[in-house]
Amino acid sequence: MDQTPVIEFQQVQLHIDQQQILMALTFAIQAGQFVGLLGPNGAGKTSLLRLLQKEYQPSSGQIKFQGHPLSRFGQSELAAKVALVSQLSGPLFDLTVADVVLMGLIPHKALWHTNTEQDLQQLKQSLELVGLADKERHSFAHLSGGEQQRVLLARAVMQKPLLLLLDEPTNHLDLYYQHQVLRIARALKITVIASIHDLNLASRYCDRLLLLSKGELVADGTAEQVLTEQLLTEVFRIPCLIDQNPFGDCPRVSFGYKDN
Amino acid sequence: MSKALLAALPLPLRLLLALVLLLLLCLCALSTGSVPIAISGLLGLAPLNEMQETVLWQLRFPRLVLSLLAGAGLALCGALLQNASRNPLADPYLFGIVSGAALGATIATIVLPQWQLLTPLFAFFGALLAVFLVLLIGASSRWQRLESLLLCGVAVSFMLSAITTTLLYLSEPFAANRVMFWLMGSLSQASLTHVALISPLVFITLLLGLLYRRQLDALVLTDESARSLGVNVRPLRLVILLLCAAVSAAIVAFCGGIAFVGLMIPHLVRSLFGLSSVALLLGSVWLGAVFLTGVDTLSRSLLPDQELPIGVLTSAIGSLFFLSMLFKYRRG
Repeated sequence: MDQTPVIEFQQVQLHIDQQQILMALTFAIQAGQFVGLLGPNGAGKTSLLRLLQKEYQPSSGQIKFQGHPLSRFGQSELAAKVALVSQLSGPLFDLTVADVVLMGLIPHKALWHTNTEQDLQQLKQSLELVGLADKERHSFAHLSGGEQQRVLLARAVMQKPLLLLLDEPTNHLDLYYQHQVLRIARALKITVIASIHDLNLASRYCDRLLLLSKGELVADGTAEQVLTEQLLTEVFRIPCLIDQNPFGDCPRVSFGYKDN
Repeated sequence: MSKALLAALPLPLRLLLALVLLLLLCLCALSTGSVPIAISGLLGLAPLNEMQETVLWQLRFPRLVLSLLAGAGLALCGALLQNASRNPLADPYLFGIVSGAALGATIATIVLPQWQLLTPLFAFFGALLAVFLVLLIGASSRWQRLESLLLCGVAVSFMLSAITTTLLYLSEPFAANRVMFWLMGSLSQASLTHVALISPLVFITLLLGLLYRRQLDALVLTDESARSLGVNVRPLRLVILLLCAAVSAAIVAFCGGIAFVGLMIPHLVRSLFGLSSVALLLGSVWLGAVFLTGVDTLSRSLLPDQELPIGVLTSAIGSLFFLSMLFKYRRG
């Protein structure tokens, strides 16, 4: 069995406008892992995801994708293998839900190719997967934030990626869909790297957690290894208690001050 | 309501309806004018006299084809620029194209009156100069922000307009009048040479727009989202801008300033035909052609023995259209 990591960071540093954003990150992610990126605001989570999309180039060090330098992959070649679901502000011009999901075909279609019956079948399946089968002809702009997020997840499914990047995928979602989106992403059985603010969601769904603080990787391991009271209190600068999540075999994190 | 009505019709019927409407309008445009030509004459069912033959083939036919092309081209550029810049107010005028063309025409008319026949050429190069300046300033900010490119367009537009106005102020009144008349827009100088020069540009732009339909759809969301789908955002945006500049510059050079078509038609198309790029581009081409041909026919028939400048009518209709949109928006 091929043991080549899907993603490998080797001493990767990132500077933007002479400011150091990421400091000598070294880690490898194996195929099929669901990895949660944790850390307070400004820790470097989004920058790390942008490095993986080649939006930023490392200042030093190397990123490998499937054993090859990431820099060798062209934009289109990369899009056929890596999909992104990120935050959207309301689009100015409207499109139908189907139009948005079908964008997932861009990396796989030549310019002159039309949509086949199979593509339309796949469109239906992707929408069914995210629970929006009845919204195919609806306007994308008029959906709620949570529904838009699920449409983007359906688009990522349509892209048939090996690696799925989720940038704060549960923001704007109600409790039900917070869990739903992560369950769907997990069910895809592909490698997922998700930046997540909610530590309990990360604990519940991720196989592995990377905790970033001020651009440094301060912990890397399972939820039990990373979510410790001392480390979280230090990184998030707020008292923290850890106990067992009654719904699963994973730690539960509570933050707060005892006097309120 | 109108959209629901259209959507209820099967696609072949909708296309047939569009074609029939376009043909009827063409017949109407060819028969209307100071020398009336009966529809039966146009269809070959009745003979035409020599005068009618000359008017039909030397004047009205080239003018009809030019109005179809110019309307289609301006609306197509508006649709492409609006989607590519994610700005509902973008149109060929926003990038200084018309101000540049006006400066070129002014130089040809006032500074180099002996080269007056070359006014369209000067206007064309003036428009290209404007786009070149916008791109130069945009490139110096490394295309980091889309808004900065649009602001560059506005700044260049005002700068070139200031130079034009100064030249007009210092010139003799007769020459200034000629420039003002050119700026108001007219298809009266139409010839098949103009058609031959403009049509390849419009067709290439339409073809590329249709080929890149999925990428254009992706640009409507965010740049980051488009890039994650493999769209080379900056080169695509640059090619769209250059093509639209060439198309609009050629149209403005031969037809003068025809405002509001590029701005208004794509909005109308979105509300009538749909939102994806294919519907938007094809719809804009059709409605732009229909609109400008209709307005040109109107401009030739509103006043007896006199033509109204077409730009005056498009501006008047455009302002009414946007006012009606404003009231519709306010009503909720």
